[in-house]
Amino acid sequence: MLLNPYLLKLAFDRLENHSPSNEILKIALLMVLFSVISGFFRFSMRRTLIWMSRKIEYDMRSDLFEHLLKLNPSFYHNTRTGDIMARATNDIEAVRMMIGPGIMQMSNTIVTAVTAISFMLYLSPSLTLISLIPLPILSILVNRLGQIVHKQFMKIQDYYAVLTSKVQENLSGVRVIRAYNQEDSEMKSFSAHNEKYISLNMGMIRIYSMFYPLLFMLAGTVNIFVLYFGGKAVVLGEMSLGTLVAFFTYLAILIWPMIALGWVISMYQRGTASLDRINKILYTKPAIESSSISHNKSELQGKIECKALSFAYNGKKVLHDINLLIEAGMTVGIIGPTASGKSTLVSLIGRLFPISRGQIFIDDIDINDWDLHSLRSKIGFVPQEPFLFSDTISNNIVFGVDFANPAEIQKAAESAVINKDIGNFNDKYETVVGERGITLSGGQKQRVSIARALLTNPKILILDDATSSVDTETEHLINMYLKGEISKRTAIIISHRVSAVKDADLIIYMETGTIAESGNHDALLSLNGRYALLYKTQLVEEELNRM
Amino acid sequence: MADNNYHEEEVIGKAYDARLMRRLLTYARPYRIPLAIAIILLIAGSGLQLLLPVMVQIGIDDYIAVKNMNGLGTIALWSAMILFGSFIFSYLQMYITMYIGQKVQYDLRMQIFGHLQKLHLGFFDKNPVGRLVTRVTNDVNVLDELFSSGLVSVFGDIITLIGIIIALLYYNWRLALFTFAVVPLLIIATTIFRGKVRAIYRDVRTRIARLNAFTQEHVTGMNVIQLFTREKAVLNKFNSINADLRQANLKSVYYYAVFFPAVEIISSISLAILLYYGGFQVGAGVLTFGELVAFIQLVQRFYDPIRDLSEKYNILQSSMAASERIFKLLDTEPEIIPVVNGPKPAKSEGKIEFQNVWFAYNNDDYVLKNLSFSVSSGEKIAIVGATGAGKTSLISLLFRFYDYQKGSIKLDGIEINRMSNEILRSQLGLVLQDVFIFSGDYAGNIRLGNDNISDAQIIEALKKVNLHDFVINKEGGLNSEVKERGATLSTGQKQLLSFARALAFNPNILVLDEATSSVDTATEKMIQKALDRLLENRTAIIIAHRLSTIEKADKIIVLHHGEVREMGNHKELLQRKGIYYRLYQMQFRDEDLKAVG
Ligand SMILES: Nc1ncnc2c1ncn2[C@@H]1O[C@H](COP(=O)(O)OP(=O)(O)O)[C@@H](O)[C@H]1O
Ligand SMILES: Nc1ncnc2c1ncn2[C@@H]1O[C@H](COP(=O)(O)OP(=O)(O)O)[C@@H](O)[C@H]1O
Ligand SMILES: [Mg+2]
Ligand SMILES: [Mg+2]
Repeated sequence: MLLNPYLLKLAFDRLENHSPSNEILKIALLMVLFSVISGFFRFSMRRTLIWMSRKIEYDMRSDLFEHLLKLNPSFYHNTRTGDIMARATNDIEAVRMMIGPGIMQMSNTIVTAVTAISFMLYLSPSLTLISLIPLPILSILVNRLGQIVHKQFMKIQDYYAVLTSKVQENLSGVRVIRAYNQEDSEMKSFSAHNEKYISLNMGMIRIYSMFYPLLFMLAGTVNIFVLYFGGKAVVLGEMSLGTLVAFFTYLAILIWPMIALGWVISMYQRGTASLDRINKILYTKPAIESSSISHNKSELQGKIECKALSFAYNGKKVLHDINLLIEAGMTVGIIGPTASGKSTLVSLIGRLFPISRGQIFIDDIDINDWDLHSLRSKIGFVPQEPFLFSDTISNNIVFGVDFANPAEIQKAAESAVINKDIGNFNDKYETVVGERGITLSGGQKQRVSIARALLTNPKILILDDATSSVDTETEHLINMYLKGEISKRTAIIISHRVSAVKDADLIIYMETGTIAESGNHDALLSLNGRYALLYKTQLVEEELNRM
Repeated sequence: MADNNYHEEEVIGKAYDARLMRRLLTYARPYRIPLAIAIILLIAGSGLQLLLPVMVQIGIDDYIAVKNMNGLGTIALWSAMILFGSFIFSYLQMYITMYIGQKVQYDLRMQIFGHLQKLHLGFFDKNPVGRLVTRVTNDVNVLDELFSSGLVSVFGDIITLIGIIIALLYYNWRLALFTFAVVPLLIIATTIFRGKVRAIYRDVRTRIARLNAFTQEHVTGMNVIQLFTREKAVLNKFNSINADLRQANLKSVYYYAVFFPAVEIISSISLAILLYYGGFQVGAGVLTFGELVAFIQLVQRFYDPIRDLSEKYNILQSSMAASERIFKLLDTEPEIIPVVNGPKPAKSEGKIEFQNVWFAYNNDDYVLKNLSFSVSSGEKIAIVGATGAGKTSLISLLFRFYDYQKGSIKLDGIEINRMSNEILRSQLGLVLQDVFIFSGDYAGNIRLGNDNISDAQIIEALKKVNLHDFVINKEGGLNSEVKERGATLSTGQKQLLSFARALAFNPNILVLDEATSSVDTATEKMIQKALDRLLENRTAIIIAHRLSTIEKADKIIVLHHGEVREMGNHKELLQRKGIYYRLYQMQFRDEDLKAVG
């Protein structure tokens, strides 16, 4: 390809000298031969580089996801899902474009430019220098415009995430929006976001649309220089017409890499902008990691001890000086007002957040010294808000273990009193539930979530208000089944209903982040404090109504 | 996640579909004037660019060959002017086309978003949110590429191509025909390439969609993954989906790697033919030297648009697929057709009547069966029943989230599916069982988009649900930040916040679907008291499992497997000694024993 102009020059020189036509034929055939050879090189380069970029894309995506798996709830509480998704999709693609097609074009450009320019130098050094005059202008221009593009692109990407989140929230909250007649106001606010996004884009376009025409003009200017000064040289007899023609052809070859250069630069700008955004996640250290001296015990008894435990979210204190001892095998009930820190306390036992002050010991080992995996795999957690995957019910129940046979699944479902409901579904255990389990009723979701925890056969079972949406009758059944399950392990049960906790070995009444009262049911009743009052309200009211 | 196709979507492999294209072009119609200007600028710009080789030819033949230096200067000057003109034209053209692209993008996005606001809720049960978000964001971006860089430049490429062909034929038609001898080769190469790439494109699309759906869902459910220490298993699954995608991508690399060098070889062949035959003609004096040079330059430019067109083929293909998906969504008719100008009840009394209502989410899998009951103005009714009995479904029908199959539901004497949704829903206030909190601030979460609700009313509502102190003690007060889905609030607080929302809207009929299930007894009692006053003359429907919250209701409906089993007030139902009586016994049996003892 790059030899073509030189061959052309040879041909033209021969034409001027009226050489026999088979000489020209030879040159023409050489031309085809060379292009086949260069084609082969290009083929190999494309295969290698793009191939590599796809592999890097794979690694990058895998690394990002692996890192996401390590990041803690606090990260997810403070980052929009849309932001994370934008990085996993658009940004990774932009980085891939930079290293695949970007590098390919770049090396293409460099090889082409260097060869073309050396041939040109060989043909006529002075004419080459003249035609390279616009180069410095080019590099300044490209640099300036490139920076603006980079900045603007960052802004656009960030706003794209905002736009995405807006749509996502609108669709996830569709019931609320419909129930409150907010469709029109949603349209309005979406329209504002949409406009802002477009105007950011327009800011980019103003510069961007100048890019290629400018490059083209520079290339054209060079052409004119060569026509004028080269023509002059030919007129003065310093140069042959064939050389001039070859020169033109080299220039024509240079135009493409010049334009590609613009492309490469904008790809580079986007790529680095995106890489910055991805790195922001990759450089976020997981707040919780297994410590180096981590204990990796296969057996766990289930003794839990909190010593002077305090905890704050972003500086806002939620737990104050909690002291608590739970012997292995004990059943503990936690009760108390909304936002008193019940869920926070149990999530610390599951080590979801790093402890600010004080300590938690599991089996007399500091929780920070436990291997994260071996600790959590012994804890069965039923979160206050159940999360189901848009998968079959059976896969949702099996989620916590590698494998379970149908009998085990059935047994877990029976203990959670969900098996009858499942039996009524058309596809039984193979029924696919919608996103977040949307096609199940609230109580059904909670019970699938309980079954999931039971199937992992945990040493410590934590039920965070796990039956709040379950009716009394079903709840009673669950409690009956659970009694059998609970007797084998340590259990922590959070509830608002006295009836759910009153048989526990230990009942904790929490209030504004402290343990206000603790003891068993009778002890607390005789204390005649908050718990006793709660008990009476829940009970006596019924008595009154009864009469 | 491998065994179901909830997240799969059909992928269209067609690269060009006249029907879709025609429909797409209608979006450009409002901008036909700027579009026409852009096309004129484009033609002018490419024309000027093609003039440059001609100027070179004239320079060589008429001036350099005859050693006329002055004329050469003039030609150079003319060339410079032409060049500048083409710069201006192409800059303006690019700006205008990109501008049109953005406008179309805006319009399309608004249209899709607007359509989604009208679709029935059953649609959202069946389509993952992530996929619908993609329609509004990503797919529209793909189309923008078509409008702003694809369509017009394809047009430009074709014009350039035609221009070059005309110019070649004009210079020397014999030579031109010889040069075109390779065109069949080009067509064959392109056809093979297209076929291969199309098949792979389909694979790539499916796999990307699967990967994104997987990522999205697992990022949302990260808590569960970590609690159950499933990181390794999930990562393995992710990697296998990721590897599938990589494999499809790698396959396509091969075809591109073959195609582009092939075009170059073909272009060399034509150049060789040109050189041999053209040289022959120059030797015979039929062709001038300058003409041959111009010819060569033109032929070299002939391949640029062709190469460009194959690159554009990608854009074309993905935009056809994107537009097919978008149009499919836009063509999905809402199953619940909104009523416009429906009748309005003369007086909002809050009378509700269900008559022999049958309802199924799917086919005849009836969730509600032959349901009949009525609520008179100002009455409070309670609904109890096991989970899955159909309580929430019943509420959804009242709000017309779904349409019932048989029977009738009337509000203030008017069948609800004859009423407009705005009128119907403005009568009703709902606390949903599945609480949803928006990101933003507290005020915004209560007010939503309704600016008629003042800050004072918001504070009033927050006081009633016992959240006031919590919110006011925050640094930003009502305007403190609330994260996505209320992530930093306790579950009970979220529930209270959504309760406050319902109260602030001050509806005629209040509907509470297990609205205090995660709230402690004391707070619940407090709310109860506030409600007693608030609801004095209003209708209310209350679903709850804690019987204490519903005993005072005027009427209690016991729902069992979608049927009304018992109906009456607390005393009547206890006397009947049926399901309600049993539930009641169960809830208080133990307490009773102790209280008595
Ligand atoms: N991730 C979080 N970030 C900041 N604050 C939080 C977070 N989770 C809970 N809180 C706050 O901590 C307090 C206790 O919450 P929680 O433990 O969930 O209460 P509950 O006793 O209802 O389970 C509440 O005031 C809540 O707003
Ligand atoms: N969107 C839906 N699509 C399909 N089935 C649903 C949907 N929502 C609920 N169901 C099914 O309908 C039945 C009744 O559910 P629901 O009305 O939520 O019960 P309740 O509120 O009484 O607990 C359940 O079996 C549930 O699985
Ligand atoms: Mg909680
Ligand atoms: Mg319900």
